[in-house]
Amino acid sequence: MDPASLIAAALSLAAAYSLVALGFVLVLSMTGAVNFAQGDLVVAGGFMAVAVLAIIPDGPWMMPLVVLPLTLLVMAVGGVAFGALAYLPLARRSAPTIFLASIAVAMMIQNGLLGLFGPAPRSTPPLLSGGPVDLPGFSLDRQTLAVLVVAGGLLLAAGLILTRTRFGLRLRAVAEDSDMAAAMGVPVAVVRLATFALAAALAGAAGLMLAHQFFLTPADGAGFMLKAYIAATLGGWGRLSGAIMGACVIALLETAGAALLGFVAAEALLYGLVIVLLVVRPGGLLGEKSGERP
Amino acid sequence: MPPSPLSPPPLFLSSISRSKRFSRGWWRRACGGVLTVGLLVVASGGTLSVAQERQIILPVLAPLTGFVALEGASQRNGALLAVAAAPAGLTVEPVVLDTATQPEIAVNAFNRGLAEAGGAGVALAISAPILGTQMLALLPLAADAGVPLVTVSGTAAITEQDNPWVFRFFPGDAVVKAAQARFTVQELGLTRPALITQTTAYGQSGLAELQAVFARLGVTPVASEAVDTSVKDLRPALQRARAAGADSLILHLHAPSTALAVRQAAAMGLGLPIIAGSAMHQPATAALLEPAELEGVCAETSASPLSGGNAAMVAFTTAYEEAFGAAPDAFAVGQYDAVQAVLTVVAAGADSPAAVRDALASNSFSGLAMTYRSDGTGNMAHSALIVCYDGQSRVPAIVRRYDNPLGPLAPLGSAN
Repeated sequence: MDPASLIAAALSLAAAYSLVALGFVLVLSMTGAVNFAQGDLVVAGGFMAVAVLAIIPDGPWMMPLVVLPLTLLVMAVGGVAFGALAYLPLARRSAPTIFLASIAVAMMIQNGLLGLFGPAPRSTPPLLSGGPVDLPGFSLDRQTLAVLVVAGGLLLAAGLILTRTRFGLRLRAVAEDSDMAAAMGVPVAVVRLATFALAAALAGAAGLMLAHQFFLTPADGAGFMLKAYIAATLGGWGRLSGAIMGACVIALLETAGAALLGFVAAEALLYGLVIVLLVVRPGGLLGEKSGERP
Repeated sequence: MPPSPLSPPPLFLSSISRSKRFSRGWWRRACGGVLTVGLLVVASGGTLSVAQERQIILPVLAPLTGFVALEGASQRNGALLAVAAAPAGLTVEPVVLDTATQPEIAVNAFNRGLAEAGGAGVALAISAPILGTQMLALLPLAADAGVPLVTVSGTAAITEQDNPWVFRFFPGDAVVKAAQARFTVQELGLTRPALITQTTAYGQSGLAELQAVFARLGVTPVASEAVDTSVKDLRPALQRARAAGADSLILHLHAPSTALAVRQAAAMGLGLPIIAGSAMHQPATAALLEPAELEGVCAETSASPLSGGNAAMVAFTTAYEEAFGAAPDAFAVGQYDAVQAVLTVVAAGADSPAAVRDALASNSFSGLAMTYRSDGTGNMAHSALIVCYDGQSRVPAIVRRYDNPLGPLAPLGSAN
């Protein structure tokens, strides 16, 4: 692959993986437990888009203007339901207990999708169709451009929400010390549910975009979950910016590594890097924020 | 003297106990559809003397969840249609059990299915899963229990274990990969193939067969790459194939990876003929792609119901679509034929697992896809098709049939 195509492929993959990893770390920061269902939420987002498209007629701007917002909305509602039913009742339990509950949710999502949609791989239309866009020095196909814009916009929005709003402040307070936050009048349960909503919406957006590029089956969730886990480990356990950095490293290794060394070597390199990092820098590239790892 | 092919007798729909997974509507539609299929199949062969009214339980094991759920669902559906078309005098209750993707789950399903069918010595046969790793785990259990397994698993090793209880009603990798390689070299005249296979057991089995048959044809692949099912960007492999000077792309991948490879090859303008594995013939795989992306893509398979053919196949396709709301594939046809063969010998008087095994091993059967006959190791299917897409639709055309692709190799360019 030529360098420009390689960079474009790595960037679009990194953008989607970043959304997955960010949602994963948000819930991790909030609950202290690994949300094993994050990968299945990605798949659910892709299938949600498929369902919306079955109802709404396809059109040139339908994907970015109608299907994407609807998917985000439905996934956010689903995230609230997930949090209310599978997390809040267990909020005072140990991290492994919550982890097991998230595995149960993952299985329910996977089998629910299997029952509703069947086992066949599904695809969605591109966010933007048409020929490549000429940029200085190279050209980029419209879908890649759309993925970068949408994912970048969502990541920026999430960042602003977390750092520039009262909700973000409350979220960070609850993540730091939920008992103290509650004593200060923060509605802890509401903040936690909103976090699940945000994480699910981000995962849904990633699913919608990945479904077009790579197809999705109900059984694909575990692969995305693994990517999110590795991204969090590489970047720094519990760090939002670290999750994005980790996602970029994975995407770069998957694309450039496969192009230069082959798929098997790239895979070995990725997991080898994880082991080396755990030995040399256990806190990840940016240092660890949350110490408990199921 | 070879035995005459056995065919199912005329169909009289019996009061079949329904699996609770399926609605009354499904069952009624299936029965109505297979009535036509049964009659048409009968029209092509002889009849058997039917024993007195009997009731049996048939465990139907298939991977209905996980990465082969698509193939597993086809397998289950084919088996259920065959049960709905049970020969006169036979009442069959199917017990559907999900084997997911792990061998241990298949073992549990086997034990449960065996128990529900009356246990060892009583259970006449089991419709066994398509996943090769699961079949390998079930083979010793089937031998211990003395129960025949009928399957459409392509993994070569399952009939290489010296186990008399397994019957494969789908051409094994040795057969279909021979057809795939022969079509590439002898029909298309392409001698610089690049191979892309999956790292799974399925992929490794197919790769070994492809390498062997290409070697027999005097052809050395210019590139060979194995990819995990989680790999989402196959463009590096396609690029390496191009850089190696390949004149064709040989795929042996599961459905999602196959669709990815075809789409990405079209997007990058690879321009090489693609001869894919059986996943590409599946309607669900073709549905992921635009017809234009499929231009110049061929695939090996044992059957292609959507491509038409004889009246019985057309009727089967209609019945399947009415019953399940989806198009059938070769796995559905293969398992339909497998279960039909079992029910035919049971209806003809085989009243023990050993009798069923002996009858399956010693008779030939006229099925929808082909005539089946054991080669002595349980391989019942010895024919393969090559189908190709024209770029105008998602329905492939049958372009070549190989009835013995493992036979002596004809000179380059000739047909066998």
